[in-house]
Amino acid sequence: MADLASRITKPDEEPAPAAPAAETKLDGDEEVGSALVDATYDVEIKLSDLQNEEGNPLYSVKSFEELGLPKSINDGLLAMNFKKPSKVQETALPLMLANPPRNMIAQSQSGTGKTAAFVLTCLTRVDLNQKTTPQALLLAPSRELARQIQGVILSIGQFCGDLTVVAAIPGAVARDTKVEGSIVVGTPGTVIDLIKRNQFDTKNLKVLVIDEADNMLDMQGLGDQCLRVKQKIPRTTQILLFSATFPDKVMSFAEKYAPSANQMRLKHNDLTVKGISQMYMDCPDQDKKYDILCKLYGLMTIGSSVIFVRTRESADEIKRRMESDGHKVSVLHGAYEGVNRDTLLDDFRSGRSKVLITTNVLARGIDVSTVSMVINYDIPMKGPGEREPDAETYLHRIGRTGRFGRVGVSISFVYDKRSYQALTYISNYYGIDLVQLSPDDWDETERKVQDVLKSSRAKPDYAPNAIKVD
Amino acid sequence: MAGSPPSRPRSFQYTSPSRTISEILGEDRNSEVRHKLRIETAWKEHERVREDAERALREHNQKEEQRRLLEEKRREEERIRRDEQIAAERIRLNALKAKKVEIPPVLPDPEPPKAPPAAPVAKAPESAPSPTPATATTPQLNNLLNGTTAQKTPAPLGQPAPNPFGAPPKPSPFTQASLQTAIGNLQVQSKEPVAPTPRPQPPVAQRPAPVPIDRYTIIHTNLKALRTLMTQQAKVNKLLKQRMGDMRRDIRKSVGQLTGGPAGTNRQQQNKIMENLREALANQVGSQLVDPNDYLLEPRSYAQGGQQSPEKLPSLFLYLLNQFAKAAISQFVNEASARPETADPVGVCIAATFSDPNFQWRGQSLIDILMAKFRIVCPVLFGFRGSEKTLEGRKRLGWKKEHGSWVDEQVHMDRMTGLGAGFAAVSLRNFSKTKKVNPYPPRNYWTAMAKIVNTPSPEISNTQAVVLKAMIQNYEQKFLEHYGSAAIAALRMCLFEFPARVPAGSQSAAINSLGVLATQLQRDSGLVLT
Repeated sequence: MADLASRITKPDEEPAPAAPAAETKLDGDEEVGSALVDATYDVEIKLSDLQNEEGNPLYSVKSFEELGLPKSINDGLLAMNFKKPSKVQETALPLMLANPPRNMIAQSQSGTGKTAAFVLTCLTRVDLNQKTTPQALLLAPSRELARQIQGVILSIGQFCGDLTVVAAIPGAVARDTKVEGSIVVGTPGTVIDLIKRNQFDTKNLKVLVIDEADNMLDMQGLGDQCLRVKQKIPRTTQILLFSATFPDKVMSFAEKYAPSANQMRLKHNDLTVKGISQMYMDCPDQDKKYDILCKLYGLMTIGSSVIFVRTRESADEIKRRMESDGHKVSVLHGAYEGVNRDTLLDDFRSGRSKVLITTNVLARGIDVSTVSMVINYDIPMKGPGEREPDAETYLHRIGRTGRFGRVGVSISFVYDKRSYQALTYISNYYGIDLVQLSPDDWDETERKVQDVLKSSRAKPDYAPNAIKVD
Repeated sequence: MAGSPPSRPRSFQYTSPSRTISEILGEDRNSEVRHKLRIETAWKEHERVREDAERALREHNQKEEQRRLLEEKRREEERIRRDEQIAAERIRLNALKAKKVEIPPVLPDPEPPKAPPAAPVAKAPESAPSPTPATATTPQLNNLLNGTTAQKTPAPLGQPAPNPFGAPPKPSPFTQASLQTAIGNLQVQSKEPVAPTPRPQPPVAQRPAPVPIDRYTIIHTNLKALRTLMTQQAKVNKLLKQRMGDMRRDIRKSVGQLTGGPAGTNRQQQNKIMENLREALANQVGSQLVDPNDYLLEPRSYAQGGQQSPEKLPSLFLYLLNQFAKAAISQFVNEASARPETADPVGVCIAATFSDPNFQWRGQSLIDILMAKFRIVCPVLFGFRGSEKTLEGRKRLGWKKEHGSWVDEQVHMDRMTGLGAGFAAVSLRNFSKTKKVNPYPPRNYWTAMAKIVNTPSPEISNTQAVVLKAMIQNYEQKFLEHYGSAAIAALRMCLFEFPARVPAGSQSAAINSLGVLATQLQRDSGLVLT
């Protein structure tokens, strides 16, 4: 922007000579700038004036090339239409790629490029000439997520020659075969089994990544297994923990798991992606929810959508109703297993079906970029008897939309006092304002939804800028 | 076997036609005469069979030959037809190239040249031969970045400035009154359809342009006015109000439900859309009638197939067609932006709907309604250009503003990706197997592509690169089917020569993506362009 000053040739209302100071004001305040908008000459401006979003988690001043990635990897990113690193990538990548390697605990909002960040680290760290030696291990809480990460590695690494990525998920590795690939992605249980049976040689591992780390390190769940994996790998392995949420009780354990790690943390109320417009639908009673659900699809342009329900029965019933309304629907819940689940999700991922109805099994991590609406058909609850509102699950659910800066909508259904109170608790917890929708006048509801969509990205508080690096 | 006569079957009944029992038992049955006679007979029979066989063979060969000739003729005709097509497109491409290079140097300037030139402008586009160097230092220079300048008449240097001090520009007489209502960031462009005046030095034999390209922005404005008209009607027309919203939402939902898959996958959705449009056309709710010419690039007279078409059409029908177009564009922006391949079923649906004779008027489709929207949201497809670093440039590129601030760069580029793919999905449809007429034939794709790749080097923008990539990816096959080897040449230009022309230092991820796409094409479909 060396010739910036030379290009300012602005005849102002008062014929003052153009000064760079006046010019930098251009964008922020429209009422002053409006005369300029009508002008017919061009004034070059700084990017920071065009986009005043330093705090935007997707904002970045660097390019991938500046981060020092090899050309083969950079080409993979270009093929995937990634043009610039996101905040978490820009901030975390240099730290993760630095030598000697240091551990990392990184938190960033859903859909801001965490997966790409750790995949880039793995691809950069492994020696691709050693095709049969596992050098990076990535752990995820579900087979779907593991397969998804495998897909991302293969996409970004599409120009990296003979890249071999093994999925260590139930049923994928035969009993007497060795795990032979530069990178292994799996679920903790299967990985432990493979190590125990000497199928998986861990002594050359350079990187261990744990995705959805808060969920994985929870001692009531997969924490124990993750601990056992750690005991089986070299002490020099670099450990990277990633998640959108890190509740305090998990954090202290995470710090022990990944000692002296660099950390990127977010504040409580910066957690939700502001690009997702969050609304709720006031349903007169439980039975009306089906019809209202179908009506929602006419209110706005929807690519794919995910509907979260509590029970398998209602999932199947909703599928029936929606199919008769012309939708192509996939249902995925615990009753489906293994390869069946893969096929169902692949249908959704590829767009053969555009509606996915699911129970909580898929709340986390699944990234289908075209999802533009998430529906909480039932408000997420937890604890014994499902009495307690589940704020974390809510966040992960709505994070299935609004991926990488795209517009997304979440609509939660309430119909009685209990569901209303649960949603109120969640909205208070994150400090978000939910927009109320009503099924009485669809013209009016449509107008309201359109207004919300228009303002979604332009809210003045769209700046969750609390990313800090310790 | 081909040359030999067929062997005679044993049971042939003519074996010894003259042989009867009496003969066999006769005295002279072993006499020499009898013997000779029998040889004679046998020989004649042999000759007869042989001639029969030879004739059959000759006939067969003749038929074969005839068939071969016909086939050859057909193939030859096909080849000639293809060659002609290619030649025609080449000529068109050349014409376009020639046209682009010679951008008229001077512009009529609505601004006063009052501002003191702060400094000599650093970067004068080399492509602009400037016989009046004085203007090169004035602020209008940057207007050259606008693709629209090609249509403007260069004004004499001393032209009085009609619009001093950056006051809001007045609408030109060509724009309609309704334009004033309008479209903030497009005012600059909508001023410009003053174009039909010929340029001073036409570089090639110029086709008279009966309609300036920016008729599209006028259509767009008229469509906005139509929307207002509908809201007003709905206030007084209960029946209309009851149906209008439901029909609109029905169409939007159906467009959203379209998915890829084998033929027939989207029949239910297609029928639903058509059903709503037919209902609107029947106009039982009694919406006002309006003149479709307001939404067309060129007016259609009664003589042009007007015999079947009424003078005016129900406003509800045009409104819904507009909503359908809007839903499609929105689907491109919101869905195809993330996954470009989702544009294709929408493109099929658009082609099917606009080519339906029921929804045509005076013998042609009403697709201008859709294209007017494309023109607004993705101007680079129509040859408009601009710098991403300037306000005006961004506006010309269709960079969206929301609540006063520009949308994020990634968001803009995603939009352009979706729209580029959407444009290809609409303009590269194959109508060879149907009797219907393609409402937006492939030549439009070629033209849009040419307008992008013929951009003078200093004016090439990332937006153009992104749109170009999206137009090509997943559509290289269809492009090749329509244009054959000319398509290969065009792809080479798009993916190698075009990015190579970008000035050093201006290389970007978007520009580099074009080269990566070429690598992908070679890897995935074996298409070698180098």
